[in-house]
Amino acid sequence: MKKKSGSCLLTAEVFFRKRDEMELVVQLIVYGVLMGLIFALIALGLSLIFGVMNIVNFAHGEFLMVGMYIAYLLSASLHLDPLFSLPIAGLAGYLLGVGSYRLLVHHILRGPMVAQLFGTFGLMLFLRYLAMYIFTPDVRSVKQGILVGKTLSMGWISVDASKVFSAGICILAFAAVYWMIYRTKLGRALRATSIDSEAAKYMGIDTKGMNAFAWGIGGATVALAGALLAHFYYVTPTVGMLFTLIAFATVALGGFGSIVGAFIAGIVIGLIMVVSGQLVSELKFSFIYIVYFLVVVFRPRGLFGW
Amino acid sequence: MKIKKLGILSFAVILSLLIFLPNLSFAQKEVKIGVILPLSGPLAPIGKSLKDGAELAADIVNKKYPGIGIPIADWEGIPGLGGAKIKLVFSDSRGDPAWGAEQAKRLIEDEKVVGLLGAYNSAVTKTASVEAERAGIPFVNPDSTSPDLSKRGFKWFWRVTPHETWFTRDLFDFLDGLVAGKAPGIKAVPKSELEPLAVAAENTEWGAASLTEIEKFAKERGWKIAEAFKYPHKATDLTSEARKLTASKAPTYLFASYIADAVLFVKAMKEMKATPRLIWGQNAGFIQPDFWKTLGADVNGIASRDVFSSVLGKVKPEADRINKIYKERSGFDFDGSSARDFIGVQVWAHALDKAKSTDPKALQKALNELNISGKELIMPWKGVKFGSPFPGDTNQNELGSGIIIQYQGYPDGKPEIVFPFEMATSKLIYPFAGWK
Repeated sequence: MKKKSGSCLLTAEVFFRKRDEMELVVQLIVYGVLMGLIFALIALGLSLIFGVMNIVNFAHGEFLMVGMYIAYLLSASLHLDPLFSLPIAGLAGYLLGVGSYRLLVHHILRGPMVAQLFGTFGLMLFLRYLAMYIFTPDVRSVKQGILVGKTLSMGWISVDASKVFSAGICILAFAAVYWMIYRTKLGRALRATSIDSEAAKYMGIDTKGMNAFAWGIGGATVALAGALLAHFYYVTPTVGMLFTLIAFATVALGGFGSIVGAFIAGIVIGLIMVVSGQLVSELKFSFIYIVYFLVVVFRPRGLFGW
Repeated sequence: MKIKKLGILSFAVILSLLIFLPNLSFAQKEVKIGVILPLSGPLAPIGKSLKDGAELAADIVNKKYPGIGIPIADWEGIPGLGGAKIKLVFSDSRGDPAWGAEQAKRLIEDEKVVGLLGAYNSAVTKTASVEAERAGIPFVNPDSTSPDLSKRGFKWFWRVTPHETWFTRDLFDFLDGLVAGKAPGIKAVPKSELEPLAVAAENTEWGAASLTEIEKFAKERGWKIAEAFKYPHKATDLTSEARKLTASKAPTYLFASYIADAVLFVKAMKEMKATPRLIWGQNAGFIQPDFWKTLGADVNGIASRDVFSSVLGKVKPEADRINKIYKERSGFDFDGSSARDFIGVQVWAHALDKAKSTDPKALQKALNELNISGKELIMPWKGVKFGSPFPGDTNQNELGSGIIIQYQGYPDGKPEIVFPFEMATSKLIYPFAGWK
């Protein structure tokens, strides 16, 4: 009898340890996927712009920062729920993208490759320090909103409600961009421009317009990601820097120009980040770049690149 | 003969006047002190508050501020230098050790500063002070707390702030005090309620040193540690690290983080509905105005070690008067960082006054012999006097001490002092009530 209760205790202990481990694994997967979807949406625009024009937008993280400040400002000054700032940020991001193309990128395209690199690099510095001048380097955050600071509990898992909502919007945004590119005439023109810009021009496609459109969509998606991120992340002028590097790794991992690639790679990077954060937190960014490095060496076009 | 003598004498007088006149006119001149701070990049918010603190102290030295109650407020410039004004020459370290050292060199060689002040980040202070040591120019460090800095045997480096070893000792005095029932208004807490500890520290020199000190004292004082790890600072996401803390089932969480990471940790812990009994931050991010401005009521119950609190005015009226002026100028209350840079300039002012010269050797002597009474300071310290308080320390202020504050009643609250117990301004909130 005594022996039996002992073994019961033992089984219970093993059961609870197993349950603890299972809880941990499930929680990590949930957190990893939720964060990964945001990474994916941030990387989408970068991948798209590169795919269409073969140009790397260094100011991409700053577009994200602009989206975050839009959400913050609308919330802090007009007491608007940050949910309402999503379409506004998206629209502003579109205009910012198109504007950057028309006023800057379009002109520097005539220059050598290096000029193109430094052009968007300059844009990055300009936007970052403009934000620093206007908003000071203070760390801020969106404090009010239907979803801000709310947690959703499902059994023993509890997650930030705004992260779940953001993940949903990310999936929708991906689906919309995918549909637009592969199911519409506009998308076909964009793809034609991306495959062979010269030939597309001869076929009567307004390739400059397509380029501007790619920049617009790129800006819109990343600013949208910014407005989502502002729900649960802090806002500061240098915040884009943190996410730009991850976006580069995501794009390289998924394949330059690949939409599906950016989606999958974002989730993979989110998962690597939480798992390595759990194992050896200190090295978590190293893990991401090791995976990135391996992909570049063994599959230079990325997982889904062409 | 007499006339000849008179002629020689008057010649000598004129000559000496000519020689000393530049020095007399020096009375109206300025004394340049180079200040190296992180004024851009992620640490810029802290850098700005440090700059505000230093600037206010310089202003109080340079102009009369009647009714404050500390000697420098009655000065109009440095009395020992005939009223010469202090001019602070700020330089941005970008939080980068190599760039910071470059700035120290530039300030010494191009700006011809008589001394240096700074540089907040321990790693920057380390490299910048090497330049000062090489040039034989005094470097006063009011705000870096890595213990190693004062253990290098430098002759031109003086540290005003207590270092990490002190603060960590304060933490364990606090924990042992809770167990012994010394905290006012709180029953003795069984040790099992607070043990084991879980520690998260950023992977910088400062974070690593904090972690080592905590582990050392925990061993000495017999406190078990369930989980201790370093994480990459300026992280994009800290949910897995926060999960690691909750998984450790430790009731006491200890952090060494700067502002961005501190905010992310609190948000992640809230998201996970973590239920620690005690949260303690190792200063830095946990005492920045942005910390409570960003998190609002979510900071209630969180404790942090600090060196200053604006509620100190309850015990020190001078501190209250100076804080009022600071708040008018910067929009914030003093915090532990800005108040220490205020003291840094104060130390410089007293050293210059005592040395009566800007000669490096005279300044070195003045700093070595400096003895400022605790009454003059806006800190809960016994004073400033350089010596060797812990084994291996040189030119380290012996009379400093730390406090532990706890956020109470936010968004409209104050950081109340809960340690040292005899200086407590409010009853400790224990256990931590969790996040709503």
